[in-house]
Parts: sequence; structure tokens; C-alpha cells
Amino acid sequence: MALFKRLIDWIDVRIGAREIVAKELTGYLLPRNINAWYSMGSILLFIFTLQVVTGILLLIYYVPDADKAFKSVSFIMNQVPFGWLIRTCHAIGSNMMVLVLFLHMLSVLFMNSYKSPRELNWLTGFILFTLVQGISLTGYLLPWSQLSFWATTVATNSVGAIPAVGPYLVEFLRGGTLVGPPTLGRFFALHVALIPLGMAAVVGAHLFFLQRTGVSTPPFGRKETANQWRGDGYRYESHPGGIPFFPHYALEDLRSIFIYLACFLAVVFFAPNLFFTGDSFLPANPLQTPAHIKPEWYFLANYQTLKIFPNEFIGLSVQGAAMTFLALLPFIDRSKERHPLKRPLFMICAVGGILLWIGLSVWGHYS
Amino acid sequence: MNLLGSLLVLLLPLAALLLPVASFAAEPQEIVCIQCHGAMPGKIGEPVKLWKGSIHAENGIACNACHGGDPKDAANAMSPARGFLGAPKEPAIPAFCGRCHVGVLKDYLASAHGKALGKGGPTCVTCHSNHLVVKASLDIINEKRCSQCHSYERAKVIRAAMLETETMIVAMDKRIAVYKGQGTDTESLEKGLFAVRNRFHTLFHNVDVEMVKKESAGIQADLKKIQAQLTALDESRQKRKIAGAVVVSAMLLLALFAHLLRKTFD
Repeated sequence: MALFKRLIDWIDVRIGAREIVAKELTGYLLPRNINAWYSMGSILLFIFTLQVVTGILLLIYYVPDADKAFKSVSFIMNQVPFGWLIRTCHAIGSNMMVLVLFLHMLSVLFMNSYKSPRELNWLTGFILFTLVQGISLTGYLLPWSQLSFWATTVATNSVGAIPAVGPYLVEFLRGGTLVGPPTLGRFFALHVALIPLGMAAVVGAHLFFLQRTGVSTPPFGRKETANQWRGDGYRYESHPGGIPFFPHYALEDLRSIFIYLACFLAVVFFAPNLFFTGDSFLPANPLQTPAHIKPEWYFLANYQTLKIFPNEFIGLSVQGAAMTFLALLPFIDRSKERHPLKRPLFMICAVGGILLWIGLSVWGHYS
Repeated sequence: MNLLGSLLVLLLPLAALLLPVASFAAEPQEIVCIQCHGAMPGKIGEPVKLWKGSIHAENGIACNACHGGDPKDAANAMSPARGFLGAPKEPAIPAFCGRCHVGVLKDYLASAHGKALGKGGPTCVTCHSNHLVVKASLDIINEKRCSQCHSYERAKVIRAAMLETETMIVAMDKRIAVYKGQGTDTESLEKGLFAVRNRFHTLFHNVDVEMVKKESAGIQADLKKIQAQLTALDESRQKRKIAGAVVVSAMLLLALFAHLLRKTFD
């Protein structure tokens, strides 16, 4: 113990480590009425780390070549010791990442935490949301299965509906007129290098903004629920008399992460094929279209939206408009009130929107 | 404040998915034989319908594979110059099918059935039918069919002797299919079972009771080897589930521990 203290002292006199710990951890205070929803972000950071680790392990055996990709994935799943575990964790983890991201977004939405001065937190969060979708979409192609190949064909095809540049864009995405080896090359580069680095950078920005604005106070269980920010100057939202981040809330984060891990591993071990269909285990065949190609569950609403409108461009525009609306939400919703129950119109729109999304997804699943 | 959008979850148009895929599916062009005969009534159009439900259709074996001719050129599809053979006369049927089913032809010709060819004995299509050829199974040996030519007694004995092996093969086939559908690499299992099944199927055609009994033992020994591999797979999957239960429980315990530890700081 004395040795440990000497080591800490040695570091402390050089970089002032104790001061950082006091400022950022033990002395970093959080609102007293903070709840478990605030740990969704920590869970996401944990999932992202797990995806990076399992992804790097998969890279050891995965071969990004159209002739070898499918076999290499099959080799990972059947021959490499614990390869099945790593790959299943990576595949299930990607779905879980989207799921937890939705929960994180919904909690921010219903607690109205996106309001001033937190527009930048919301915007970086929105960018992360699109990056997660992008990384899911590009990763989907890599196993080079029937499902991969045709889902990518359908996804890239939809871009063709954009006027003027559409056909050029499709070719740019695919690296040719059809999905083929060049597509695999560029999707691989995006999936393992560009998007993860982009995500890490945006996560850094997201956390930096959180650090600068301070953690928002939940609107629940308080008399005064209006947004206090006046916009007359920078002010850090401190929480005098609040709960220290370390060890108090760090343990709550940890508890949430363990509960997440229990759910996640339950799927990995007991329902490993939850997100796989039979077409995931057949090598890609450009000459044979499987009967039912459906996108992943989180894209079903988009898929159905495109099918509803007779014109693809309108379907795309509606989605673009919805995405833009979502991105600009803090600028559109300017009311001061932060308690959702005091905002009937907000609640109707939010719950209605969620039900619409769920409805479209279910419809897309059965259509 | 309208959240519709947020919830419409959306995406970069990039990720949008679309459309019934069929619109740009690379559907193989239908061959000319089917284009014409498929629309014809009666005897001349019938084979197309029957063939569509056959194991041949399932495996991509089309008209021209047996009947010859040019499946891509409507004008010369049935020209002998393009190798069109038409339908074989009865005595020629075994040779006709035997171009692909070489081993079966050999077994058949050596059997009592084959020796009676042209003297009222059965040809391939007597038992298998011609266009609606389905995956062969023991059900082909039945009283109705055998008693068209002779009493069912001997056939019944053969069938009984083969039933156990057949049941084993069918059950293992199902188990392998389940593993395959879960992404397990079943190639060596499939190859093994395929080889054994072929050996077993030669017995169908030699119609010799003693031979069937003698061979069945060896075949069953081979099947047991494949079965052992399947059992090992079952056990490994079972082990994974037990490990899963342990790991999930451990996580829940750790969550509880973090929760209790948090309580001590209140």
C-alpha cells in the first residue's frame, strides 16, 4: 500500500494527477435527482469499445476479398477457437448499439435535455446516429453472404432516385454498375477505418461539449422545470450539493453496464441467430435473388416509407426531411418548459412519432 | 413540438432501403422449351407442370439435360442437328436416365428388374415416374406399386430390412440441415452422409434380400461415425449454453454488487 502511495505521489508531483481526479471525478458533481437513463451514454461508449475490440480480433482472420470473405467468416465461426463468440458478439453488439442508441436518444428527448445550451451535444449525437447507421450498413456487406449482397444492392439502388446525380452516386457507392468486389473494398475501408475514426472523433466532441456545458438536470421531481439558460454568456451548469461522479455515479454506470452485459450475453449465448436469417449463411450469388430481402430491423421503417410512396424520390425526400427535422430539433423546439407532462402537444407528437416509427417497422416486417 | 420526424427514423438517404427487389433481380431467362410447352394444353404441355415440382427442377436440371436440343433457340430447339433426342422408347429408358445415373443403371441392369427389361419388366419410370421425379425414398417400395407386376411379399422383406437405415439417414439429414441453417460448417458431414446414402441407394436397385441384409450392417456402422460427429456438435452447443448461463449470472451478480456498493456511499 505504501508502495502504491509512493507511485501515486511520484506521478502526482509531476502532473498534478490528484488535482485532476478531484476536479473531474470525486469533485465532479451531478444533479441529485439523476436517474439510470443518464447511464445510456456510458453503455454506448462501452459497446463502441467492445465493437472495436471484437472488430480488431475479427480482422485477424477476415479476408476482405469477394472470393474469400464468406469462407473466412465461416472459418472464424467454425474453426478459430472462440471465433464464433467474437463474431457473434460483434454482430449482436451492432444491433444492440442501435437499440441502446435509440434509448439514449429517447431519454434525451423526453427529458428535454437537448434544449439550449446543449444544441451542440444534440447535433454531435445526431451525427453519431448517422455514423452508427453507416457503419452498420457497410459492415453488413463484409461477410459477402446472399443477405449481405442483396441488402447492399437494394440499399445502394435507392440512392439512384436522387435527381441528376443519382445514377452517378450509385456507381460511386458501388465502385461499378453493380455491387461487386470493388464495393467490398470501399465498404471495408469505410467500415474498419474511416467511420470508426470518425465516430471516435465525434464521440470525443460529444463528451467535450458535455464537459463544457455540464450535465443537465432532469426535469422530474422538481417544482421549477423551465429551462434556466438565458443565453447572455457562457455558464457551466454545476450542481452544488450534488452527487459525486466518482464513486457514486460511476458505480451506477457500472451497474447499468453489467445489466446491459447480462442482456447482451443472454442473446449471444441463447439466441445467437436472432439477427441472422438463412440467407446469412449462403455465399453471395449475383445471379440469384433470394425471395425475401429485408433490411435490418432498424431500417425497416425507412424501407416501408420508400414502399408507401409511388415515387422513390418522394420517399427519399420524406426521409431526408424527417432526418433534417430530427437534427434541427433543438432549434425548432424553442419553448422553455422541460417537463414532458407539462407539454401535452410535445407528448402527443413524440409518442405519436414513436408509434408511427414502430408501426412502419412492423408493417415493413410483414409486408 | 413535433417529433414526428425524430421518430420516423430515417437516415441518410444513403441507407434507405427500397422497393421490391424483384424489379432488378437477375432472373435467369426461361428456356424456350418452357416458353412454348408451358402454354400448351394436354399431353404436350403436361410435362412442364410435372417437372416444376421435381427434384430435377430443384437442382436446375431442365428439359434439354435429358431430351437434348437447343434451349436458347426457339426455331431449332427440337432439331436433331442440335442434339434433340425426343422421348425414348420403353427399352431405351434405362440407358436414357443412366447417362447421369451411371451407378444406378449398373445396379439395375444386374438386378432381376433389369434382366426383365423389354420382357414386361419395370423401367426407371415405372417406379420413379418420368417428369415428376421426386427425391427417392423408401416410400417408393409399396404394395400398390410392386403388385402391379408381382406379389409384395419379397419387396416387403426388403423394405423392412432397409427401414431402420433409411430412418437413420432421414433423421441425420434433418439434424445436419438444422446445423447448416445456423451457420455451422456441415460440409464434411454432408459429404459423408451423401457417400453413405449413395451406397445405401444401390441396395434399392439390386432387389436382393440377402444382399440388403449383409450391406445394411456396414452402412449403419458408417452412419454411426457421422452420428458421433453430430453428437459432438450437440455437446459443444450444450456446453456453450451452460457457459452462457454462468456468464449471464455472473454479470447479474456483478450488477448487484455494484448496486450494493453504491448504496454504501449514501
